[in-house]
Amino acid sequence: MSSVEVNELSVRAGNKTLISEVTLAFEPGTWSTIIGPNGAGKTTLVETIAGLRRPSHGAVSILGEAITEMNERERALRVALVPQHPVVPSGMSVYDYVALGRVAHHGLFHPASPRDRAVVESVLERLSLVEFRGRDVATLSGGERQRMVLARALTQSTMVVVLDEPITGLDLRHQMNMLELMKSEVHECGLTVVATLHDLTLAGQFADRLVLLDRGEVVIDGPAAAVIRSDELAKRYGMNLRVVDVDGADVVVPVRHGDNVNGA
Amino acid sequence: MAFVAAGTVVALFVAIVCGLVIGPTSVPTWRVVGDIFAHVGIGHNTLTPLQSTVVWTLRAPRMVIGLLAGSMLAVAGGTYQGVFRNPLADPYLLGVASGAGLGATFAIIDLSHGVGTPTWTPLLAFVGAMAAVIVTWLIGGRSIRSNTSTLILAGVAVASLLTSAQTFLQQQSSAGSITRVYIWLLGSLASAGWGTVWLVFPYVIVCIIICVGAGRALDVMSVGEEESRSLGVPVRRVRFIVIAASSLGTAAIVSAVGLIGFVGIIVPHIVRLLVGTSYRRILPISVIFGAAFLVFADTIARTVIAPSELPLGVVTALIGAPVFVIILSLRRPVPV
Repeated sequence: MSSVEVNELSVRAGNKTLISEVTLAFEPGTWSTIIGPNGAGKTTLVETIAGLRRPSHGAVSILGEAITEMNERERALRVALVPQHPVVPSGMSVYDYVALGRVAHHGLFHPASPRDRAVVESVLERLSLVEFRGRDVATLSGGERQRMVLARALTQSTMVVVLDEPITGLDLRHQMNMLELMKSEVHECGLTVVATLHDLTLAGQFADRLVLLDRGEVVIDGPAAAVIRSDELAKRYGMNLRVVDVDGADVVVPVRHGDNVNGA
Repeated sequence: MAFVAAGTVVALFVAIVCGLVIGPTSVPTWRVVGDIFAHVGIGHNTLTPLQSTVVWTLRAPRMVIGLLAGSMLAVAGGTYQGVFRNPLADPYLLGVASGAGLGATFAIIDLSHGVGTPTWTPLLAFVGAMAAVIVTWLIGGRSIRSNTSTLILAGVAVASLLTSAQTFLQQQSSAGSITRVYIWLLGSLASAGWGTVWLVFPYVIVCIIICVGAGRALDVMSVGEEESRSLGVPVRRVRFIVIAASSLGTAAIVSAVGLIGFVGIIVPHIVRLLVGTSYRRILPISVIFGAAFLVFADTIARTVIAPSELPLGVVTALIGAPVFVIILSLRRPVPV
């Protein structure tokens, strides 16, 4: 059974169609990345998968259950979200922030159980956040902060994790670190990751599968290497793109001033 | 944290004793303390019949309504600041004050036939306060796309409409009734008897319990609506329940004692500076601290120019503002 099924999903805001009849399925233990130009509907799609938007038509189901049939708590036990612009509640400690991921487990009227605390400790350990546990969240650097937001999502202990542009504003090393961390979680815990990324090179290197979205519709859906090399990619971005092989890794390079938009 | 909690409990006890001991009829402190213990079954009565009447019939209900008003306004303010994620939020944000003001003004000016403050003033104030919050909610809180800013703006609009209606009523009336309206608006615990206490007690206790119980939810909601939903919090339901509880409790208090300003905004901030940003700590400590603070303020209000009284709202601001400024200068920036 697929862990996430998106079935003929349409999402409208007013009379504008953001997502149009998208059908996709995501398997356990895989990393899929949604790519596409600005305004393609990537964030709308992942927010709908995370249950923050209601489908106008069609359905999203997580582990076989329709997302619109769940309440917030049931949903939070099945899918976790790393938002594009997380709110940083100044004054809260890193530990307390990461522990927010356990709220769906212990509930709003009970304190964290020993098991909840053990999960938080283990995630802090895995993400090298132990030394920051007592720090005010507002004092962290961009890289530390993103790691902390990821930690909160992982403490939710869900099988599905949705990442919306998780590396925005990070330097190259921290971008790689962040994605490597997530990749090892996918392997070790058999997670299903659905991410959006602007960086096509990183998208190609970290995802098992790429889905190219444009104007709310799926254009290509396939193994990362194939999608990166397809002519359609350059066409949809409206520019000249080349894929260069560097030590076995695909690197997508934009080339300035090309008349031939289909690349070399 | 434990230190602050213990400190506020001691402050509360001292405030209760001051509220019972201080006044024109002198009653020795030890006798009052002894009599408090006698009331809970330890030892014997230590007061003369006259002293007993002064302490338990005149001062005690006034002290108890002060406790209730202080805790309710403080916890409602803290709750509003949490639910709106806004440091300027106070219990009057959604129109409770202006609604109560209009209700009371209507009662005093139009129903009093020019004399006195009619007995249904509290009832009309309560109805006005609740009506204002409900209208604000219907405008700004119901729609699926509304957020807390919409609700705050709806509150501002409703409040200015009701205030202008109240001003119009006042402008049409005699100078005598304007004075009575003004006195009512300033807030006072002077008219409180045991009847008032028992009338507001059930509302206030239930509302305080709901607000304090929402502490953990408000902590999660400090990461914003979307993220707290993704963490499993039914944000809209929590928001509705805590706003309903804070508003109901505040309306009950306002209708009994008038508009006492400053407690609801300043007490939660003082507490936050002392115990940190978690609403699980801020709200329960605010309940105790607010109660102690208001009883102290009222003791001052009724003694410094006795036999006349200072308006309670003036005293709360006179004490509260300097205390707040001192703490603010020691601990900054203001966390929310």
